[in-house]
Amino acid sequence: MIRFVDTTKVYSNGVVGLRNLTVRVEKGEFVFVIGASGSGKSTFLKLIMHEEVPTEGEVYVNGYSVHDMVHSEIPYLRRSLGVVFQDFRLLPNKTAYDNVAFAMQIVEATAREIRRQVPLALGLVGLSKKARAYPNQLSGGEQQRIVLARALVNNPAVLIADEPTGNLDPKTSLEIMNLLEEINQRGTTVVVATHEKGIVDTMKKRVITLDHGEIKSDVQKGSYSDEN
Amino acid sequence: MKIRTMKLLVKEGTNNVVKNKLMSFASILTVVAALFFLGIILLIAINITSNIEAMKRDLELTIFLNVNATSYQREEVVGFIEQKKAAGIVSEYRNETKEQMYDNIKKSLNDDSLLEGFGVENAAESFYLKLVDPNSSDELIKQLSTFEGVNKNNGIGYGKDELDKLEGILKIFNYIVMAILVILMVISVLLISNTIRLTVFARRHQIEIMKYVGALDSFIRWPFIVEGLLIGFIGAVLSFILTSQAYKWLQDVINAILLNLKLSTLRLLEFGPVAFRIFIIYSIFGIVIGGIGSFFSVRKHLNV
Ligand SMILES: Nc1ncnc2c1ncn2[C@@H]1O[C@H](COP(=O)(O)OP(=O)(O)OP(=O)(O)O)[C@@H](O)[C@H]1O
Ligand SMILES: [Mg+2]
Repeated sequence: MIRFVDTTKVYSNGVVGLRNLTVRVEKGEFVFVIGASGSGKSTFLKLIMHEEVPTEGEVYVNGYSVHDMVHSEIPYLRRSLGVVFQDFRLLPNKTAYDNVAFAMQIVEATAREIRRQVPLALGLVGLSKKARAYPNQLSGGEQQRIVLARALVNNPAVLIADEPTGNLDPKTSLEIMNLLEEINQRGTTVVVATHEKGIVDTMKKRVITLDHGEIKSDVQKGSYSDEN
Repeated sequence: MKIRTMKLLVKEGTNNVVKNKLMSFASILTVVAALFFLGIILLIAINITSNIEAMKRDLELTIFLNVNATSYQREEVVGFIEQKKAAGIVSEYRNETKEQMYDNIKKSLNDDSLLEGFGVENAAESFYLKLVDPNSSDELIKQLSTFEGVNKNNGIGYGKDELDKLEGILKIFNYIVMAILVILMVISVLLISNTIRLTVFARRHQIEIMKYVGALDSFIRWPFIVEGLLIGFIGAVLSFILTSQAYKWLQDVINAILLNLKLSTLRLLEFGPVAFRIFIIYSIFGIVIGGIGSFFSVRKHLNV
């Protein structure tokens, strides 16, 4: 599903984002990526979705050789991924429904498919009632649910989330994480970069800990305390 | 690309024009100004060309017979002219007999004493030919000068050489017009692409989101191109209206001046007959400028 082979990312200013990283994430897994600020979590996710390219080594995602990809292939890699960020990145001039539908229009889904799938996705994240609302009429937690619905609506094989709860209160954060777990149980591989100590500790998932761009630990049913 | 996607992209592009009123207005203004300038130059060129053509058609080939030409020699010349008329080379001709010439001279002199020793017998008959194609004059002059009865000393005249010189100048003028057109086009493309770049920048988040979701480059690019095309076309229509009004006003003014100067053979063309041509040229230029301008402005943002 996701495979890094001796991958190194050095940014143009010489800063090392990742150093000789080798790791595998299998289909259907739920993985937390944790580590101090600057340890390389975002870099790891950016390499998966080809927002950055590795300086050395290989990255394989959903059958694509991401390290060695022509420009025209990138959209198809991205269609096999769902992406969620800390800042919600919704289109402010579109309703919740249209934001989700837009993701389907982009991949040229039929109007019928859109009418069927969008309500399902909104239902899954529990926001059917707010379909007609605009992003600025929604709370942070609600906006992040819309983003989740958008990330899911095209049935991606892998969902990657970079601090999806970074801007949310603890209760809402837990709800979002539970939603991610639910999505995972439906068969989607989920990779979440986070600082949420409490949630990581209670959810007992695989935890990859990064430190200065290297893997410090990689534990099944791990917790934050495994870091030390 | 599927039809429904095309519809969607056209709708997005159209919405963009309406939503970004200020940017659209600025871009449209650029197109209007560029095309208006272009149109005026174009109309000047068309007018000069058509006036030269008209002058050429009005040119007469004049032939003087020798004073002592025999009636047989005269019949030879008339026969030749008739034959050329039948062949569709000469459109019409008239002649001035010795008597008419004598009377004309007499009339213009006012003073009969000056005509002493100059009688009808000293006058020469002349022919005035209008040619269907002014360019056939050289051949005709060559043939006419072989006739016995034709006066070889300045007996054949045609003003075409002067007009040819004028045409030479016109050709250079046309090259200059061409160069101005190219420069205008480049400037407009730059201005438009700059304006659209601002709207692209304003929507960089939207572009980013589209890319994360897996939009193809064409999907991202088309709404902007539609926007550019639309701006170009609206600019073309407005500029066309502006040009036609300005030209009609100019036409009245300049034709009045020409009439005052007794240059009534020269006149500004009617706008009507060239209107369609101008409109097509404007539309093509506007659309090309808008399309290319927006194409360049999105390109940069696609490389992520
Ligand atoms: N575009 C960039 N150009 C240069 N250096 C960068 C760039 N992005 C990240 N870095 C550097 O690479 C290192 C890893 O950054 P990364 O964003 O992956 O960390 P992170 O673990 O996500 O941190 P945080 O928890 O603060 O989000 C840091 O030292 C960072 O300064
Ligand atoms: Mg980060």
